[in-house]
Amino acid sequence: MRIYEVFLKTDGKEEFRHAGSIEAATDELALILARENYARRAEGIHMWVVDRKNICISDEGFIDPNLNKPHRHNDGKKVAKWRKSQRDKKNDG
Amino acid sequence: MMVKSTLTSPIKEYLLAFADDEHLMGQQHTEWIGIAPFLEEDMAFASIGQDELGHASMLYSLVLGDSSEIDGFVFNRKPEEWRSCQLVESNHREWEEALMRHWCYDMAEDLRWELFRKSSHPELVSISERALKEEAYHRRHAEALVENLLSVPSSKSRLMEALEKIIPEVLDLFSPMPGEEDAISSEVVSGKYCDMFPVWRTRLENRFGVLDPDLFTGIDDVTRTRRHSDFDVLFNRIREVFLLDPEATW
Repeated sequence: MRIYEVFLKTDGKEEFRHAGSIEAATDELALILARENYARRAEGIHMWVVDRKNICISDEGFIDPNLNKPHRHNDGKKVAKWRKSQRDKKNDG
Repeated sequence: MMVKSTLTSPIKEYLLAFADDEHLMGQQHTEWIGIAPFLEEDMAFASIGQDELGHASMLYSLVLGDSSEIDGFVFNRKPEEWRSCQLVESNHREWEEALMRHWCYDMAEDLRWELFRKSSHPELVSISERALKEEAYHRRHAEALVENLLSVPSSKSRLMEALEKIIPEVLDLFSPMPGEEDAISSEVVSGKYCDMFPVWRTRLENRFGVLDPDLFTGIDDVTRTRRHSDFDVLFNRIREVFLLDPEATW
């Protein structure tokens, strides 16, 4: 038996969300059993099942350094402010 | 123009046989909730059983003309008034028997619904279309499990032993039903169910290999008017809660 992770996409949503896991002997059985266990009450319109061994998992802390890089968060406010000042200058002239 | 046929008493009795089969098959499958060999399967098996109960409910509703009448009708019927077949009444308590019965029944069920696709009764056309969509997944479920288990010699011998026990009961499923001739002549249904038996047998032997021809002899045409010896126990389980207070409104 292998463990599969089940993902469902609901109508009107872009993303697939993790619904749970399932134990099954083959890919076909994983799909069929996931259908009856996770989607029998119209919980989604598309389903993925992924054998857990095919998911590449990052090491602990692998993305932590990226949590504190404020210089990468450009919301465009500075550029907008500068462009507005340029427009105002042109209109005044 | 399609004329909606009137459902005469013999035709109602004929449809009742289908509803009773679906009801008891659904009941027997759903009884595996919590006790099937693994968690995922007990949910799946019970869910498939619920689909069959849904088919039964649509057929009962059509026969009775009102879905609110179903409980009273079903729970208060005398055993001799049922028209179910031996396959769905018998008490198969081993998992391999339940699984083989599921395979055998669902490989026969779509062949039965196919006969209603061009029915002169429009409601039966839409019920059959809905049921056929669900049945495709029931067959996939049965096939995937059986295919996987047949690859293990000890599982294969258990399945084959269960199959030999069940085949005679499948013959009973295909046996002529009361009212079938009337249903055919009024085009409620497009043919005899027993004429579909060779298709079922081909599916069976494609999956399990050629079987002893003696297993396929002896279609009996009176069985749907008598009950299997396991029926009373099953019927009491079905009515267990209902009988606590038969007058209650649910």
